[in-house]
Amino acid sequence: MAAVTAAPPGWLFDPVPYRRIVMLRRVAYLFVPVDMLLTTPWVWSHAHEPGELYRPLLIDRVLHLPTPGAWVTVLGVTLIVASLAAAAGRLPRVLGVAVAALYLEWMVVAFSYGKVDHDRVGFLVLLAVLPTVPRRDDEAAGWAVRMTTLAVVATYFLSAVAKLRFGGLDWVDGATLTRAVIRRGTGLSKHLLDHGWVLHAFQYVLVTVELLVSPLLLVRWRDPRRTWLLVGGFYLFHLMTFLAISIVFLPHCVALLALLPLERMSVQRLAQREPVPA
Amino acid sequence: MLTQTGRRVRTAVTAGVAGLLLAGTFFGQDDAFPFGPFRMYATRDAPNGSVVSTRVEAVDASGRVITVPDSATGMRRAEIEGQVSSFRHQADRLGALSRAHSRLRPNEPAYILVRVVERRYALRDGRPAGTGVEQVVAQWQR
Repeated sequence: MAAVTAAPPGWLFDPVPYRRIVMLRRVAYLFVPVDMLLTTPWVWSHAHEPGELYRPLLIDRVLHLPTPGAWVTVLGVTLIVASLAAAAGRLPRVLGVAVAALYLEWMVVAFSYGKVDHDRVGFLVLLAVLPTVPRRDDEAAGWAVRMTTLAVVATYFLSAVAKLRFGGLDWVDGATLTRAVIRRGTGLSKHLLDHGWVLHAFQYVLVTVELLVSPLLLVRWRDPRRTWLLVGGFYLFHLMTFLAISIVFLPHCVALLALLPLERMSVQRLAQREPVPA
Repeated sequence: MLTQTGRRVRTAVTAGVAGLLLAGTFFGQDDAFPFGPFRMYATRDAPNGSVVSTRVEAVDASGRVITVPDSATGMRRAEIEGQVSSFRHQADRLGALSRAHSRLRPNEPAYILVRVVERRYALRDGRPAGTGVEQVVAQWQR
Protein backbone atom coordinates (compact mmCIF):
# COMPACT_ATOMS: atom_id res chain seq x y z
CA MET A 1 0.00 0.00 0.00
CA ALA A 2 2.83 2.38 0.94
CA ALA A 3 4.38 1.82 -2.48
CA VAL A 4 1.13 2.81 -4.11
CA THR A 5 0.54 5.92 -2.06
CA ALA A 6 4.14 7.05 -2.33
CA ALA A 7 3.86 6.96 -6.10
CA PRO A 8 2.90 10.13 -8.00
CA PRO A 9 -0.87 10.69 -8.26
CA GLY A 10 -1.04 8.86 -11.56
CA TRP A 11 -4.17 8.05 -13.46
CA LEU A 12 -6.40 7.36 -10.46
CA PHE A 13 -5.85 10.77 -8.86
CA ASP A 14 -5.20 12.94 -11.89
CA PRO A 15 -7.01 16.19 -11.04
CA VAL A 16 -10.33 16.99 -12.67
CA PRO A 17 -11.94 20.43 -12.23
CA TYR A 18 -14.30 20.36 -9.24
CA ARG A 19 -16.94 22.02 -11.38
CA ARG A 20 -17.45 18.76 -13.21
CA ILE A 21 -18.60 17.21 -9.93
CA VAL A 22 -20.98 20.14 -9.38
CA MET A 23 -22.49 19.50 -12.81
CA LEU A 24 -22.60 15.73 -12.32
CA ARG A 25 -24.32 16.16 -8.97
CA ARG A 26 -27.12 18.09 -10.60
CA VAL A 27 -27.58 15.71 -13.49
CA ALA A 28 -27.32 12.51 -11.42
CA TYR A 29 -29.57 13.66 -8.57
CA LEU A 30 -32.16 15.04 -11.00
CA PHE A 31 -32.04 11.79 -12.93
CA VAL A 32 -32.97 9.73 -9.84
CA PRO A 33 -36.63 10.91 -9.77
CA VAL A 34 -36.78 10.71 -13.59
CA ASP A 35 -35.66 7.09 -13.41
CA MET A 36 -38.11 6.29 -10.60
CA LEU A 37 -41.13 7.99 -12.14
CA LEU A 38 -40.63 7.74 -15.89
CA THR A 39 -38.15 5.10 -17.02
CA THR A 40 -38.60 2.35 -14.39
CA PRO A 41 -41.91 3.15 -12.67
CA TRP A 42 -42.65 -0.57 -12.22
CA VAL A 43 -40.50 -0.68 -9.07
CA TRP A 44 -43.30 1.05 -7.10
CA SER A 45 -45.69 -1.80 -7.84
CA HIS A 46 -43.40 -4.25 -6.03
CA ALA A 47 -44.91 -2.75 -2.85
CA HIS A 48 -48.09 -4.67 -3.73
CA GLU A 49 -46.60 -8.03 -4.73
CA PRO A 50 -47.55 -11.01 -2.59
CA GLY A 51 -44.55 -12.21 -0.60
CA GLU A 52 -44.28 -15.55 -2.41
CA LEU A 53 -43.13 -13.80 -5.60
CA TYR A 54 -40.17 -12.27 -3.71
CA ARG A 55 -36.82 -13.81 -4.67
CA PRO A 56 -34.32 -12.23 -2.24
CA LEU A 57 -30.85 -11.49 -3.60
CA LEU A 58 -27.63 -12.30 -1.74
CA ILE A 59 -27.50 -8.72 -0.41
CA ASP A 60 -31.09 -9.09 0.91
CA ARG A 61 -30.16 -12.26 2.75
CA VAL A 62 -26.83 -11.03 4.12
CA LEU A 63 -28.23 -7.72 5.38
CA HIS A 64 -31.60 -9.25 6.39
CA LEU A 65 -33.43 -6.64 4.32
CA PRO A 66 -37.20 -6.78 4.82
CA THR A 67 -39.58 -8.26 2.24
CA PRO A 68 -40.98 -5.39 0.11
CA GLY A 69 -44.33 -4.11 1.27
CA ALA A 70 -46.02 -0.79 1.96
CA TRP A 71 -42.69 0.63 3.19
CA VAL A 72 -41.44 0.65 -0.43
CA THR A 73 -43.68 3.67 -1.08
CA VAL A 74 -42.14 5.49 1.91
CA LEU A 75 -38.67 4.58 0.61
CA GLY A 76 -39.54 5.93 -2.85
CA VAL A 77 -40.92 9.24 -1.59
CA THR A 78 -37.95 9.74 0.78
CA LEU A 79 -35.52 9.02 -2.05
CA ILE A 80 -37.19 11.54 -4.36
CA VAL A 81 -37.17 14.27 -1.68
CA ALA A 82 -33.53 13.53 -0.77
CA SER A 83 -32.36 13.55 -4.38
CA LEU A 84 -34.15 16.81 -5.19
CA ALA A 85 -32.55 18.46 -2.14
CA ALA A 86 -29.17 17.02 -3.16
CA ALA A 87 -29.65 18.32 -6.72
CA ALA A 88 -30.15 21.78 -5.23
CA GLY A 89 -26.63 21.43 -3.79
CA ARG A 90 -27.64 21.09 -0.15
CA LEU A 91 -25.53 19.02 2.30
CA PRO A 92 -23.56 17.27 -0.45
CA ARG A 93 -21.97 14.74 1.90
CA VAL A 94 -24.97 13.75 4.05
CA LEU A 95 -27.59 13.83 1.32
CA GLY A 96 -25.20 12.24 -1.18
CA VAL A 97 -24.63 9.25 1.11
CA ALA A 98 -28.38 9.02 1.78
CA VAL A 99 -29.28 9.07 -1.93
CA ALA A 100 -26.61 6.46 -2.77
CA ALA A 101 -27.80 4.09 -0.03
CA LEU A 102 -31.51 4.57 -0.67
CA TYR A 103 -31.12 4.19 -4.44
CA LEU A 104 -29.17 0.96 -3.94
CA GLU A 105 -32.01 -0.34 -1.76
CA TRP A 106 -34.51 0.82 -4.42
CA MET A 107 -32.61 -1.25 -6.97
CA VAL A 108 -32.53 -4.25 -4.62
CA VAL A 109 -36.33 -4.00 -4.34
CA ALA A 110 -36.47 -3.74 -8.13
CA PHE A 111 -34.38 -6.83 -8.81
CA SER A 112 -35.63 -9.20 -6.11
CA TYR A 113 -38.43 -10.68 -8.23
CA GLY A 114 -36.57 -12.92 -10.67
CA LYS A 115 -34.81 -10.46 -13.00
CA VAL A 116 -31.70 -8.37 -12.51
CA ASP A 117 -30.89 -5.59 -14.97
CA HIS A 118 -27.26 -4.98 -15.86
CA ASP A 119 -27.19 -1.27 -16.65
CA ARG A 120 -26.90 0.09 -13.12
CA VAL A 121 -23.34 -0.37 -11.91
CA GLY A 122 -21.92 2.79 -13.51
CA PHE A 123 -24.70 4.93 -12.05
CA LEU A 124 -24.51 3.26 -8.62
CA VAL A 125 -20.77 3.94 -8.52
CA LEU A 126 -21.34 7.56 -9.59
CA LEU A 127 -23.86 8.03 -6.75
CA ALA A 128 -21.46 6.37 -4.31
CA VAL A 129 -18.49 8.60 -5.18
CA LEU A 130 -20.25 11.98 -5.49
CA PRO A 131 -20.45 12.52 -1.70
CA THR A 132 -16.68 11.93 -1.44
CA VAL A 133 -16.15 15.34 -3.08
CA PRO A 134 -18.22 17.70 -0.89
CA ARG A 135 -15.97 20.71 -1.54
CA ARG A 136 -13.37 21.92 -3.99
CA ASP A 137 -10.67 19.28 -4.29
CA ASP A 138 -9.57 18.56 -7.83
CA GLU A 139 -7.75 15.38 -6.85
CA ALA A 140 -10.76 13.96 -5.04
CA ALA A 141 -12.84 14.98 -8.06
CA GLY A 142 -10.34 13.17 -10.27
CA TRP A 143 -10.74 9.95 -8.29
CA ALA A 144 -14.54 10.20 -8.41
CA VAL A 145 -14.44 10.60 -12.20
CA ARG A 146 -11.93 7.72 -12.60
CA MET A 147 -14.03 5.38 -10.47
CA THR A 148 -17.09 6.15 -12.57
CA THR A 149 -15.04 5.68 -15.73
CA LEU A 150 -13.82 2.29 -14.48
CA ALA A 151 -17.39 1.21 -13.75
CA VAL A 152 -18.57 2.37 -17.18
CA VAL A 153 -15.75 0.53 -18.95
CA ALA A 154 -16.31 -2.56 -16.77
CA THR A 155 -19.95 -2.62 -17.89
CA TYR A 156 -18.82 -2.97 -21.52
CA PHE A 157 -15.66 -4.98 -21.11
CA LEU A 158 -16.91 -7.45 -18.52
CA SER A 159 -20.13 -8.01 -20.47
CA ALA A 160 -17.95 -9.36 -23.29
CA VAL A 161 -16.20 -11.58 -20.73
CA ALA A 162 -19.64 -12.76 -19.52
CA LYS A 163 -20.56 -13.63 -23.12
CA LEU A 164 -17.50 -15.85 -23.30
CA ARG A 165 -18.31 -17.38 -19.92
CA PHE A 166 -22.01 -18.09 -20.52
CA GLY A 167 -22.18 -18.31 -24.31
CA GLY A 168 -18.75 -19.74 -25.06
CA LEU A 169 -16.23 -18.77 -27.70
CA ASP A 170 -18.82 -19.30 -30.44
CA TRP A 171 -21.26 -16.78 -28.94
CA VAL A 172 -20.46 -14.58 -31.93
CA ASP A 173 -21.75 -17.29 -34.28
CA GLY A 174 -24.98 -17.87 -32.36
CA ALA A 175 -28.38 -16.29 -32.89
CA THR A 176 -28.61 -14.21 -29.72
CA LEU A 177 -29.47 -10.94 -31.50
CA THR A 178 -32.08 -12.78 -33.58
CA ARG A 179 -33.67 -13.83 -30.29
CA ALA A 180 -33.49 -10.25 -29.03
CA VAL A 181 -35.26 -8.93 -32.14
CA ILE A 182 -37.90 -11.69 -32.16
CA ARG A 183 -38.73 -10.95 -28.54
CA ARG A 184 -38.32 -7.18 -28.34
CA GLY A 185 -37.87 -6.03 -31.90
CA THR A 186 -39.23 -2.71 -33.17
CA GLY A 187 -40.75 -1.94 -36.57
CA LEU A 188 -37.29 -0.79 -37.57
CA SER A 189 -35.39 -3.92 -36.58
CA LYS A 190 -37.92 -6.65 -37.50
CA HIS A 191 -36.82 -6.27 -41.15
CA LEU A 192 -33.36 -7.43 -40.10
CA LEU A 193 -34.79 -10.90 -39.38
CA ASP A 194 -34.91 -11.41 -43.16
CA HIS A 195 -31.22 -10.53 -43.37
CA GLY A 196 -29.78 -12.73 -40.65
CA TRP A 197 -26.20 -11.97 -41.71
CA VAL A 198 -26.55 -8.36 -40.51
CA LEU A 199 -27.42 -9.51 -36.98
CA HIS A 200 -24.70 -12.15 -37.16
CA ALA A 201 -22.10 -9.58 -38.23
CA PHE A 202 -23.25 -7.18 -35.54
CA GLN A 203 -22.43 -9.78 -32.89
CA TYR A 204 -18.80 -9.59 -34.03
CA VAL A 205 -18.93 -5.79 -33.94
CA LEU A 206 -20.46 -5.86 -30.47
CA VAL A 207 -17.81 -8.09 -28.90
CA THR A 208 -15.02 -6.20 -30.66
CA VAL A 209 -16.27 -2.86 -29.38
CA GLU A 210 -16.75 -4.17 -25.86
CA LEU A 211 -13.35 -5.82 -25.67
CA LEU A 212 -11.14 -3.51 -27.69
CA VAL A 213 -12.77 -0.09 -27.98
CA SER A 214 -14.26 0.40 -24.50
CA PRO A 215 -10.82 0.33 -22.74
CA LEU A 216 -9.88 3.38 -24.85
CA LEU A 217 -12.30 5.34 -22.64
CA LEU A 218 -9.72 4.95 -19.86
CA VAL A 219 -7.11 6.91 -21.82
CA ARG A 220 -6.65 10.60 -21.05
CA TRP A 221 -6.22 11.86 -24.59
CA ARG A 222 -4.17 14.97 -25.27
CA ASP A 223 -6.70 15.84 -27.93
CA PRO A 224 -10.06 16.07 -26.13
CA ARG A 225 -11.86 15.56 -29.43
CA ARG A 226 -10.96 11.86 -29.16
CA THR A 227 -12.84 11.56 -25.89
CA TRP A 228 -15.84 13.28 -27.45
CA LEU A 229 -15.64 10.94 -30.43
CA LEU A 230 -15.45 7.82 -28.27
CA VAL A 231 -18.17 8.84 -25.83
CA GLY A 232 -20.32 10.05 -28.73
CA GLY A 233 -19.81 6.69 -30.42
CA PHE A 234 -21.06 4.85 -27.35
CA TYR A 235 -24.10 7.15 -27.08
CA LEU A 236 -24.83 6.32 -30.73
CA PHE A 237 -24.53 2.62 -29.90
CA HIS A 238 -27.08 2.99 -27.07
CA LEU A 239 -29.41 4.93 -29.37
CA MET A 240 -29.20 2.15 -31.97
CA THR A 241 -29.92 -0.47 -29.30
CA PHE A 242 -32.96 1.51 -28.23
CA LEU A 243 -34.24 1.81 -31.79
CA ALA A 244 -33.67 -1.92 -32.44
CA ILE A 245 -34.87 -3.64 -29.25
CA SER A 246 -36.31 -0.77 -27.17
CA ILE A 247 -33.85 -1.25 -24.34
CA VAL A 248 -32.17 1.90 -23.13
CA PHE A 249 -29.30 1.85 -20.66
CA LEU A 250 -30.30 5.25 -19.34
CA PRO A 251 -28.59 5.20 -15.91
CA HIS A 252 -25.43 3.99 -17.60
CA CYS A 253 -25.71 6.84 -20.12
CA VAL A 254 -25.85 9.33 -17.23
CA ALA A 255 -22.68 7.80 -15.74
CA LEU A 256 -21.02 8.07 -19.17
CA LEU A 257 -21.40 11.87 -18.91
CA ALA A 258 -18.68 11.84 -16.23
CA LEU A 259 -16.10 11.35 -18.99
CA LEU A 260 -17.02 14.59 -20.74
CA PRO A 261 -15.66 18.03 -19.74
CA LEU A 262 -18.99 19.17 -18.30
CA GLU A 263 -17.12 21.89 -16.39
CA ARG A 264 -16.94 23.91 -19.59
CA MET A 265 -20.69 24.18 -19.82
CA SER A 266 -22.21 27.42 -18.53
CA VAL A 267 -19.21 28.08 -16.33
CA GLN A 268 -20.15 31.72 -15.85
CA ARG A 269 -23.61 30.92 -14.59
CA LEU A 270 -22.20 28.34 -12.20
CA ALA A 271 -19.57 30.73 -10.95
CA GLN A 272 -22.28 33.22 -10.04
CA ARG A 273 -24.50 30.69 -8.33
CA GLU A 274 -22.06 28.35 -6.68
CA PRO A 275 -19.26 30.13 -4.89
CA VAL A 276 -16.85 27.40 -3.92
CA PRO A 277 -14.88 27.75 -0.71
CA ALA A 278 -11.17 28.10 -1.30
CA MET B 1 -5.21 17.99 -2.34
CA LEU B 2 -5.93 14.62 -0.85
CA THR B 3 -4.20 13.51 2.35
CA GLN B 4 -2.13 10.34 2.45
CA THR B 5 -4.99 8.62 4.27
CA GLY B 6 -7.53 9.90 1.79
CA ARG B 7 -5.51 8.52 -1.06
CA ARG B 8 -4.89 5.24 0.68
CA VAL B 9 -8.56 4.68 1.44
CA ARG B 10 -9.56 5.51 -2.13
CA THR B 11 -6.94 3.18 -3.58
CA ALA B 12 -8.20 0.36 -1.34
CA VAL B 13 -11.84 1.07 -2.33
CA THR B 14 -10.88 0.99 -6.02
CA ALA B 15 -9.12 -2.34 -5.60
CA GLY B 16 -12.03 -3.74 -3.59
CA VAL B 17 -14.69 -2.75 -6.10
CA ALA B 18 -12.58 -3.99 -9.03
CA GLY B 19 -11.96 -7.30 -7.22
CA LEU B 20 -15.65 -7.81 -6.47
CA LEU B 21 -16.67 -7.02 -10.06
CA LEU B 22 -14.07 -9.44 -11.42
CA ALA B 23 -15.09 -12.16 -8.95
CA GLY B 24 -18.74 -11.63 -9.90
CA THR B 25 -17.94 -11.78 -13.59
CA PHE B 26 -16.02 -15.05 -13.37
CA PHE B 27 -17.78 -16.87 -10.52
CA GLY B 28 -20.98 -15.00 -9.61
CA GLN B 29 -24.60 -15.12 -10.73
CA ASP B 30 -27.30 -12.43 -10.88
CA ASP B 31 -27.91 -13.14 -7.20
CA ALA B 32 -24.68 -11.23 -6.41
CA PHE B 33 -26.10 -7.86 -7.55
CA PRO B 34 -24.57 -5.25 -7.71
CA PHE B 35 -21.42 -7.32 -8.26
CA GLY B 36 -22.89 -10.06 -10.44
CA PRO B 37 -21.79 -10.77 -14.00
CA PHE B 38 -22.89 -8.34 -16.74
CA ARG B 39 -24.78 -11.09 -18.48
CA MET B 40 -27.24 -9.18 -20.67
CA TYR B 41 -27.61 -11.28 -23.83
CA ALA B 42 -24.62 -13.40 -22.77
CA THR B 43 -26.23 -16.77 -23.45
CA ARG B 44 -25.90 -18.24 -26.92
CA ASP B 45 -28.88 -19.17 -29.05
CA ALA B 46 -28.20 -21.92 -31.59
CA PRO B 47 -28.83 -20.69 -35.16
CA ASN B 48 -30.89 -23.86 -35.76
CA GLY B 49 -32.45 -23.98 -32.31
CA SER B 50 -35.52 -22.17 -31.08
CA VAL B 51 -36.46 -18.91 -29.40
CA VAL B 52 -39.14 -18.64 -26.73
CA SER B 53 -41.33 -15.61 -26.17
CA THR B 54 -43.41 -15.68 -22.99
CA ARG B 55 -46.66 -13.96 -22.07
CA VAL B 56 -49.17 -14.15 -19.26
CA GLU B 57 -52.85 -14.61 -20.08
CA ALA B 58 -55.77 -14.29 -17.72
CA VAL B 59 -59.50 -14.84 -17.72
CA ASP B 60 -61.29 -12.30 -15.58
CA ALA B 61 -64.52 -12.62 -13.61
CA SER B 62 -66.51 -11.31 -16.59
CA GLY B 63 -65.15 -14.13 -18.78
CA ARG B 64 -62.83 -11.96 -20.85
CA VAL B 65 -59.52 -13.46 -21.97
CA ILE B 66 -56.75 -10.89 -21.54
CA THR B 67 -53.08 -10.74 -22.41
CA VAL B 68 -51.80 -9.41 -19.10
CA PRO B 69 -49.57 -6.31 -19.42
CA ASP B 70 -46.66 -5.95 -16.97
CA SER B 71 -48.39 -3.00 -15.31
CA ALA B 72 -51.48 -5.06 -14.36
CA THR B 73 -49.56 -7.28 -11.94
CA GLY B 74 -46.38 -5.27 -11.40
CA MET B 75 -44.35 -8.24 -12.65
CA ARG B 76 -42.29 -7.68 -15.79
CA ARG B 77 -42.17 -10.31 -18.51
CA ALA B 78 -38.52 -11.00 -17.68
CA GLU B 79 -39.48 -11.53 -14.03
CA ILE B 80 -42.16 -14.03 -15.03
CA GLU B 81 -39.54 -15.79 -17.18
CA GLY B 82 -37.10 -15.72 -14.28
CA GLN B 83 -39.63 -17.61 -12.16
CA VAL B 84 -41.18 -19.76 -14.89
CA SER B 85 -39.62 -23.01 -13.75
CA SER B 86 -41.15 -22.60 -10.29
CA PHE B 87 -44.54 -21.78 -11.87
CA ARG B 88 -44.25 -25.03 -13.84
CA HIS B 89 -43.66 -27.03 -10.70
CA GLN B 90 -46.09 -25.13 -8.47
CA ALA B 91 -48.78 -23.66 -10.69
CA ASP B 92 -50.58 -22.48 -7.52
CA ARG B 93 -47.99 -19.73 -7.28
CA LEU B 94 -49.65 -18.08 -10.29
CA GLY B 95 -52.51 -17.23 -7.92
CA ALA B 96 -50.16 -14.57 -6.53
CA LEU B 97 -50.41 -12.73 -9.87
CA SER B 98 -54.19 -12.63 -9.50
CA ARG B 99 -53.83 -11.22 -5.98
CA ALA B 100 -51.26 -8.67 -7.16
CA HIS B 101 -53.67 -7.56 -9.90
CA SER B 102 -56.55 -7.19 -7.41
CA ARG B 103 -54.34 -5.04 -5.16
CA LEU B 104 -53.02 -2.87 -7.99
CA ARG B 105 -56.32 -2.50 -9.87
CA PRO B 106 -59.12 -3.07 -7.38
CA ASN B 107 -61.71 -1.58 -9.75
CA GLU B 108 -61.12 -4.17 -12.48
CA PRO B 109 -62.78 -7.63 -12.48
CA ALA B 110 -60.51 -10.10 -10.70
CA TYR B 111 -58.53 -12.72 -12.59
CA ILE B 112 -60.07 -16.17 -12.01
CA LEU B 113 -57.60 -17.97 -14.24
CA VAL B 114 -53.96 -17.14 -14.94
CA ARG B 115 -51.70 -19.01 -17.34
CA VAL B 116 -48.19 -18.66 -18.72
CA VAL B 117 -48.01 -19.17 -22.48
CA GLU B 118 -44.79 -19.77 -24.37
CA ARG B 119 -44.53 -19.20 -28.10
CA ARG B 120 -41.62 -21.13 -29.52
CA TYR B 121 -40.13 -20.01 -32.83
CA ALA B 122 -37.92 -22.47 -34.69
CA LEU B 123 -34.78 -20.94 -36.20
CA ARG B 124 -33.17 -22.02 -39.42
CA ASP B 125 -29.75 -20.53 -40.13
CA GLY B 126 -30.40 -17.80 -37.61
CA ARG B 127 -33.73 -16.81 -39.13
CA PRO B 128 -37.19 -17.52 -37.72
CA ALA B 129 -38.97 -20.24 -39.69
CA GLY B 130 -42.74 -19.97 -39.40
CA THR B 131 -44.93 -18.16 -36.93
CA GLY B 132 -44.18 -20.28 -33.88
CA VAL B 133 -45.99 -22.87 -31.78
CA GLU B 134 -47.76 -21.98 -28.55
CA GLN B 135 -47.91 -24.00 -25.37
CA VAL B 136 -49.45 -23.33 -21.96
CA VAL B 137 -46.68 -24.15 -19.49
CA ALA B 138 -48.46 -23.37 -16.22
CA GLN B 139 -52.05 -22.61 -15.28
CA TRP B 140 -53.88 -21.65 -12.10
CA GLN B 141 -57.62 -21.47 -11.66
CA ARG B 142 -59.51 -20.10 -8.68
